[in-house]
This record gives sequence, structure tokens and C-alpha cells, in this order.
Amino acid sequence: MSTMDKLYDLQHRRSIIEQGGGSERIKKQHDSGKLTARERIHLLMDEGSFIEVDAFVKHRATEFDMPNTEAPGEGVVTGYGTVDGRLVFVYAQDFTVLGGSLGEMHAKKICKVMDMAMKMGAPIIGINDSGGARIQEGIDALSGFGEIFYRNTLASGVIPQISIIMGPCAGGAVYSPAITDFIFMVDKTSQMFITGPQVIKAVTGEDVTFEELGGAMTHNSKSGVAHFISANDQECIQKVKELLSYLPSNNLEDAPAYDTNDDLNRLSEKLSSIVPDDSNKAYDMKEVIAEVVDNGEFFEVQPHFAMNIIVGFARMNGRTVGIIANQPKYLAGALDVDSSDKAARFIRFCDCFNIPLITFTDVPGYLPGVSQEHAGIIRHGAKLLYAYSEATVPKVNVIIRKAYGGAYIAMSSKHLGADAVFAWPTAEIAVMGPEGAANIIFRKEIANSADPIKTRTEKIQEYRDKFSNPYIAAARGYVDDVIEPDSTRPRIIAALEMLAGKRENRPAKKHGNIPV
Amino acid sequence: MRKFVINVNGKSYEVEVEEISDGAPVAAPVSRPKVYDSAPKPASAPKTAPAPKAAPAAVPASATPVSAPMPGTILSVNVKVGDTVKEGDVVCILEAMKMENEIMAPKGGKVVAVNVSNGTSVNSGDVLVAIE
Repeated sequence: MSTMDKLYDLQHRRSIIEQGGGSERIKKQHDSGKLTARERIHLLMDEGSFIEVDAFVKHRATEFDMPNTEAPGEGVVTGYGTVDGRLVFVYAQDFTVLGGSLGEMHAKKICKVMDMAMKMGAPIIGINDSGGARIQEGIDALSGFGEIFYRNTLASGVIPQISIIMGPCAGGAVYSPAITDFIFMVDKTSQMFITGPQVIKAVTGEDVTFEELGGAMTHNSKSGVAHFISANDQECIQKVKELLSYLPSNNLEDAPAYDTNDDLNRLSEKLSSIVPDDSNKAYDMKEVIAEVVDNGEFFEVQPHFAMNIIVGFARMNGRTVGIIANQPKYLAGALDVDSSDKAARFIRFCDCFNIPLITFTDVPGYLPGVSQEHAGIIRHGAKLLYAYSEATVPKVNVIIRKAYGGAYIAMSSKHLGADAVFAWPTAEIAVMGPEGAANIIFRKEIANSADPIKTRTEKIQEYRDKFSNPYIAAARGYVDDVIEPDSTRPRIIAALEMLAGKRENRPAKKHGNIPV
Repeated sequence: MRKFVINVNGKSYEVEVEEISDGAPVAAPVSRPKVYDSAPKPASAPKTAPAPKAAPAAVPASATPVSAPMPGTILSVNVKVGDTVKEGDVVCILEAMKMENEIMAPKGGKVVAVNVSNGTSVNSGDVLVAIE
């Protein structure tokens, strides 16, 4: 074979691999509203930057029909490239090749890019579109899953790990995305579940569709498994890129800073009147966030799940911050099982990756009820306290209105190590609400009064006047300053500048034991 | 003369009772009832009233139930059976967690059932209104 022939041979081999499962299966993939693995990678990466690794890897399974089965690229495309000029590693399962099933060598390819991502300190993005384990390969396939989970765990908190679900992701396969930091799903074309509708029907008799059981909206709103939902592959990949712009490449770096044309001393008149005169009335906390952050741009995480708490990324003076805020418009902004979980996980992500935390507090308390108690609000609520206490990144809290009882402590209070706590004049920081407190403290006076209703009303007002304000807490130094609402942005930015060099050493330990 | 506080249907009454000795016909000076609760509940809807519980049966299967997101007290009901509502219209106000929470219609349509009235105590998941 001449050198020229060898070159042709190489090109021929490569072109077969790049065809994946062949034109017919690619057409089927397109017809079902999905892009192919390679199309997805090309959309994600800067043009021409993608370098493929391990294209020639083959399986070595010998059982059943496997010796005669060709699997171009082993059903997964792996490699690296740049997004907005920054290095990222990627793997994309190819549904057109044996249904994207995961075998021994398929897993080895994934593990190789994961190892590289960790060594180089760059994010890893996994695009999942697979029927699951390649049954013909038996426990070698299981081994493959285990190796991936193990690496996901080692990489956790070292590099950002992003999972994109763009097809089925079933059985054990779901646990790789579950360990990663963020899960993106595409509406109507992606599903995640441990056991599918057929198994559920056989075991419990329940009838459920794929979409209802484990579709994108189910996991974005009900289970809280996924963080983002998109209408199609293209929109989803745009969102992934946007998320990446907020994140550092690894735990030793800071997130990229951008020039902003939004004045850091900008005052916001709107904030002066945003809190209603009647403290029983709701307002939209997202408007507060939009007024404060750079250009009003807020990248919300899990917008459809546990809507009583808002979490997401924004920038202040060009630098990434993580925002946690109670939403009075939903469940009165009370803390419950799901909102505690949602916020705790987000806080821990930010702490892993040196992203300062900004908290906007308006919390009436923990949600009462038998269902909450039995669902473990003690255990779940504890995660929020733990996460805030554990975080050593700069922590700034602005108490907008209510901050009552245990929920006040939980929401980035001074007591949990917040570096700067500001309160608006509308803040009500107290052990409990005036109605409840008056009933307890003045029980006897009310009971013995000639006119209990009047006495009760008076006592509630007395308690409100005395305690439902920020000045008691400020008198103790639990609040650093009471600020004009319109100056919230400059005050937060000034605090962040002051905290930029924050160092905090904790006792050495393997790791804490968060109440999971 | 002894004083008692008696709870009836969620209302507290302060009652004075005088012991009558030897059957002497002394008119007991029962004081006017004092109602403690500042938000008196209608007698027809006490906490144990079957109305909210029995209500789901009255909701047609095809209707969309609007249920209470958390335990609390209904402060006002803005719709009645037969009204037409748009998605996002406030159907009632639920006072809970120190807040007047607006309960909105999840979709537009006709109100086919209203299971609560002002002052009704509700638990999470109780059906307040049904829309078809």
C-alpha cells in the first residue's frame, strides 16, 4: 500500500466513523426533532475548535452478535475545544449507533475526557442520548457506569460538570447527570427515569406516559432533578453557553469578569416604593433582583421548581455573583422542604467555585403542616443552615422585609457567618410575627381584659411598633447597617469590593457530614 | 361567680356562671358573649364542617381544581359559580404565613364549583374552586 493509499484509507475510515449510524438513522434522529451528536458538539463549540479524541476506539465484546456488530465511534463522540475562547471538554452519545448504548469501551472514552478535564481544570459537558447499558456486554457495561460515577464524584467541586439530556437517559445512566452540577433537558425529546412506564405498569399497575413520568417539565417542576428546560436542541445549547459565561473553569480560578456599562453607583428609585405599605401584600422579588444586578440580567436556575425561593447567577460590576432570594409571591416566600434543598445545593455550588453569595431576605418562616414535618423539613431545612454556614465565599445579605424566627437565622444571617448584612427600613426582624407573639406574651392581659379584642389589637400594635423593624437587630450588630433601598446596588458592590480578599480558615477535616 | 372561656365552632366566648344554692331562683347574670376571634368564622363553616371535605365530589372530573398551596384562612372569594375567569385572575385570597396570598386561576374558563367562603380554614391541597 503506497503512502497515498494509506492517506486515502485514513480518510475513508474517518468518514465512516463520522457517518455514525448511517444516513437512514440520522434522518430518523432529525425527524424526531433531535440533532446528531456531532451537530450538537459543533453548535456548542467555537467554530473549528473541536478536536476529537478516540474516534477509532472499538468495542471488544464477543458474546451474542457482537463480534459482527460495527459500532462507529463506539456510540459516543468525545473531545475538547473552546466555548467563547475558553477550554471545555465534551462527550456526546450518538443515538444512531446501537441506540447510544453504553458498553465497556464507550465508557472508557468518556472516562478519558473526564480525566483530561480534571487534569486541565476545564469544565466537562456530557450530552446524554442513550438507551442505557449495552446488555450484550453484561457487567462490563455496569463497570463502565461505575467508573463514570466515580469520576463525577471526584470531579465534583473541582471543575463544573454540566449534563445535557437530549434523548432517553434511563436506569443507572441517570446517576451520572444526578451527580453533576447542572442538568439541562429538552422539552418532549428527553426523559430521565430509573424504571420506565412498562416496568411501573407491571409492578404497581400505574399507567403513566414517558413524558409524565420523566419528561423535561416533570423534572424541572416536580422532582427538581433538572435545572433548565428548553424547547429544542439549539436553544438548549445556547443556554449552556450562557451558563458557562458565569462560571470559572475550575475551583482555583475566579469566574471571568466582563466590562459593564452599568454604573456601579446607580441608584434605583423604583426600589424605594417596591415594598407595599401593607406588609401582608406580596410583590415580585425578581423585580428587586433586576433593579440591583448589572443591566437587569439574571440567569435563573430551576425557575419552575420550589418557586418560593429564587436562585441564579447575575453580575455585579462585571463579576459573577450567586443570588438567593425568597419570593413573597409564591407560598408567601416561606421555606419548605423543596426550597431548602434547592437553595442549599446552589449555595454549595457557588462556594465550590468562588462565587460570592448575595441573599435577598423576605421570609415569614418555615411552612407549617403535617406533610412538611413528615417530609422531613427538619432534615431538609438543616441543609440550608449547613450550606450557608459552610460557605466561605463572600456572603452579603439584604433583608428587604420579613425575617422571622428560625427562617431569619437560615437566610444568611450574621449568626451563620454572613460578612455584610444590610436591612431596608421596611425590615421586620423578630422572633415571630406580631399576631403570634402578642398572643403568647400578652396572653394573660388579653384574657383578663374587659375587651379582649381591643386589648389584643393594641398589644399586637405594641409588639409591632417595638419589634417589627430593623433597629433592634441593628442595635445588637446583627445588622451592619440600615440602608436606603435605592442605594442597594452601590452598597452591595462596595461590600463585594471590600470582601474581595476575604480569607477564612476552617479546621482541617476530610469533609463535613451535611444532613442529606 | 366563675368565669369560663368556651370555644364554639372556633369562636371563643367568655362566660360567667353563678352557682345557685338550694334551688333558689336566682337569675344567672350571664354576661354578653365576648368573641375573642377577630376574624369570626361563619357558623356554617366551622373547622370540622364537612363542606370542604365533601366538596371534591361535587367537582366534575373534567374540571380543573384550584387547590390551596398551603394551610391558612380564606380572606375573600372573588368568584361565584357560573363566573367566567381568565388565566391569572385572582379567584380568592388565602391568608397564610403573615401574607395575603392571591390564588390565581391556572387557566381560563367557567367556575363550576366554589367550596370555600370567607373565613374557611383550609389545608394544603384542599380544593377551593374548580374551573372548567
